[in-house]
Amino acid sequence: MPPKSAQEKARSPVESLWKAYNEDTPDRLKFVDSFLLFLMLSGIIQFMYCVLVINYPFNAFLAGFASTVGQFVLTASLRSQVNPVNQGEFKDVSPERAFADFALGSIVLHFFVYNFLG
Amino acid sequence: MVAFKRLLLLAAAFASSYAKSSSGDSVLVIVEPKKQADYTLFLDGLREKGYDLTFRSPRADAPLLTQDGVPSFSHVIFFAPDTKSFPSDITPQSLVSLLGSKTNLLITLSTKQTSLTSLAAEFSLAPAPPGTPLISYFPERSEPLNVVPIQPPSTSHILSQNMAPVWFSGTPFALGNNPMLVPILNAPPYAFASEVDGGSADSLVDAAEKGGEGLWAGSRMGVVTGFQTTTGARVVWAGGAELFSDEYAKKQISQGVESGNKQFAQEVASWAFQESLVLRIDHTEHHKFNTTTPSELYTTSDELVYTAQVSRFYPERGVWKPYSDLKDLQLEFTMLDPHIRIALPPVEGKPGTYSVQFRAPDRHGVFKFVINYKRKGFTHLLSSTTVSVVPPRHDEYPRFISAAWPYYMGAISTSVGFFLFSAIWLGGEVKAFDKKGKGRKAE
Amino acid sequence: MHVFVASLLLLVASVHAKILTLQSPRFVVLDSQGQQSRSEPISLTQKSRNPVFLNATDTLKVTFQVVDKESGEGTQPHQTFLRFYDATTDEEGIQPIRVTQGGKAKLELNMARPPLSLPPTGDVPLQVMLYIGQPNFSPIAVELFDLHVPHSQPPPAHPDEASFHLLPEIHHIFRPDQKLPYKLVSAVFSGLVIAPWFLLVGLWSQVSPRLTHLFSPNVLPFILSLGAYEFLVFYYWVDLKLGQVLLCGGVLAIINLFTGKHALSSIAKRRLNKD
Repeated sequence: MPPKSAQEKARSPVESLWKAYNEDTPDRLKFVDSFLLFLMLSGIIQFMYCVLVINYPFNAFLAGFASTVGQFVLTASLRSQVNPVNQGEFKDVSPERAFADFALGSIVLHFFVYNFLG
Repeated sequence: MVAFKRLLLLAAAFASSYAKSSSGDSVLVIVEPKKQADYTLFLDGLREKGYDLTFRSPRADAPLLTQDGVPSFSHVIFFAPDTKSFPSDITPQSLVSLLGSKTNLLITLSTKQTSLTSLAAEFSLAPAPPGTPLISYFPERSEPLNVVPIQPPSTSHILSQNMAPVWFSGTPFALGNNPMLVPILNAPPYAFASEVDGGSADSLVDAAEKGGEGLWAGSRMGVVTGFQTTTGARVVWAGGAELFSDEYAKKQISQGVESGNKQFAQEVASWAFQESLVLRIDHTEHHKFNTTTPSELYTTSDELVYTAQVSRFYPERGVWKPYSDLKDLQLEFTMLDPHIRIALPPVEGKPGTYSVQFRAPDRHGVFKFVINYKRKGFTHLLSSTTVSVVPPRHDEYPRFISAAWPYYMGAISTSVGFFLFSAIWLGGEVKAFDKKGKGRKAE
Repeated sequence: MHVFVASLLLLVASVHAKILTLQSPRFVVLDSQGQQSRSEPISLTQKSRNPVFLNATDTLKVTFQVVDKESGEGTQPHQTFLRFYDATTDEEGIQPIRVTQGGKAKLELNMARPPLSLPPTGDVPLQVMLYIGQPNFSPIAVELFDLHVPHSQPPPAHPDEASFHLLPEIHHIFRPDQKLPYKLVSAVFSGLVIAPWFLLVGLWSQVSPRLTHLFSPNVLPFILSLGAYEFLVFYYWVDLKLGQVLLCGGVLAIINLFTGKHALSSIAKRRLNKD
């Protein structure tokens, strides 16, 4: 045991976090996480464009940014509902039910986004 | 036989010089019956033009100027300069209200003070004190000093060019600076107002030193002055009635040169009775640039086109014809204050049409197209059309703007990402919910 | 005007009028100290060739005596007027000159306290004329000189006067059009926004579940109807109106409901069976 803990302490916390994430997270959740990462990047780039270049069709900025943020929220809630670790909290929500909510919410979000996009 | 005679008379009437007023033919002449014969040349001239004359003594009560609130005559001539008091229906107030009902007036004053003298003050005219007619030592002549020959101005819209001098006798008036006054004939520069006999030089110098309008002298004094009211009615004030009399019309200026009184009197009456210099706006229209139908509602920054049709009255034939010679017509687009004021030029090829295209301001509100054309001697042209200018509707804004491409791409990419995510989620194996290691092992 | 007066003067009527004349007519220009800067006799037949200039502190004095030409006696005429006239603005002023019983006339024009009769002046000189009239005498009109005086206030105009002339044009200043950035910049950023796709595709290729049931008849209709919904909402942005979208959306909602229920229940069954 002692050699192992020494080995663990020698690594940086970020590396150990990353190793733990990689080993412990199921593939399906990693699939969701990559989508979340994608959405975050997309939102950040749109925000940088708004701040750096021009915010002229402000409604377009709001629509584009809100689409990424809203989708992020919906996907995150899907992830937490579907995560087997949280099974205890979501006893009466089956993964299918979670996905149905996710799909409905996304459609409605996209409707409002395209309405406001101009 | 009678009918044939009538036909001949009608034909003769049409063949002769025929000038009609644009606002009616009935004229009331207020004159002492004894003096009526003094003005036959002038009055016959009016009859020839087609006017319908009715006579009334200044002391008589009938015919009334207005009956039940409606004016009975289109024009009224006052040839009673010496009458001190008029019947009850002729007061300064009633004459002003007559003007409000578009009745034209031709009023002669004299050196005596009457109730009409106080009315002249309302028109920015100050007649000389009573008993001081206009006198002139120039030119040397055998007539008395207060019978003055005056050369009409060479540049006048109202009088013809090259008219012979006009004999005048009466009171001059000092003109105020009211722009609605239309000077027709001013006193000669060497003339002044004074008693005919026994006027003293010292009193003239004292009057001038009093300041203000102590001295009535010079060419800034009017002798026949017109006034164009805002309602469209015209008044002509003359300092003396002899100007219109037969005696002065026949009096020669010099050997073989007839006086211009007859022609002058007719032309003054022609302006006063709305024959000459009468304009009107026939109709106006407005529409958006590429359309032809007018609309109550325009959007800010729209290109608008405004067109006005102006006619002038030609008394020789008594008709209105399109008139394209107004060079300085202006259009105002007003909301409380003019936001836009631009020239309204005539259109080539379309007589009487004036048109301009301009861009509506980018402020919204209730605007008016206003034409407010006032020039000395001409009828005032006033036209006002109200329209609303509204901001663009929600779907009239520009779309698919190049600056927003990243945002469009972001929204679309989220949409596509969601679709692919759902497809893979639904189509994928359920087993992958297990931990990474286990799932692999199961395969 | 002067020509007309002269021509009328020639048309002498049958009355043989007596003749007046001016004796020793003279004008003098004094400065504020009383020094004479100019002193000239006035010619009755010709206008003075050199115009008279008056500063704000100068004084102009005109003196003459009116006498009967034949008898030489001085007379006080009824009318002794000095006329100031500006030919460009048509402004005029008449100043009577005080004449004694013996015909001695004197006029003093002090520019420090100008008389009320002086008309408003600008750049153009005033034409100065003298008119003398007396019953039973031939009248006299003399053109004196051109007079330059300092500028005065313009005459007070009636408040409506401006509306009787051409008014100044008013043009509306529009808000400047929105300045857009270069299309290249927008295109580059659009590219940047799409760039995360590469990352996404890369990550998904590693962790996505195997697509075994993608084309099964249970699941495919649902996927397709979701896709249709997304397309409808996108097309709403491109070209549709709200009413059309809600109509189609309502129809698609029903389809989605059925296919979704079917698809999800089949997935659930599979998952439970497996477990």
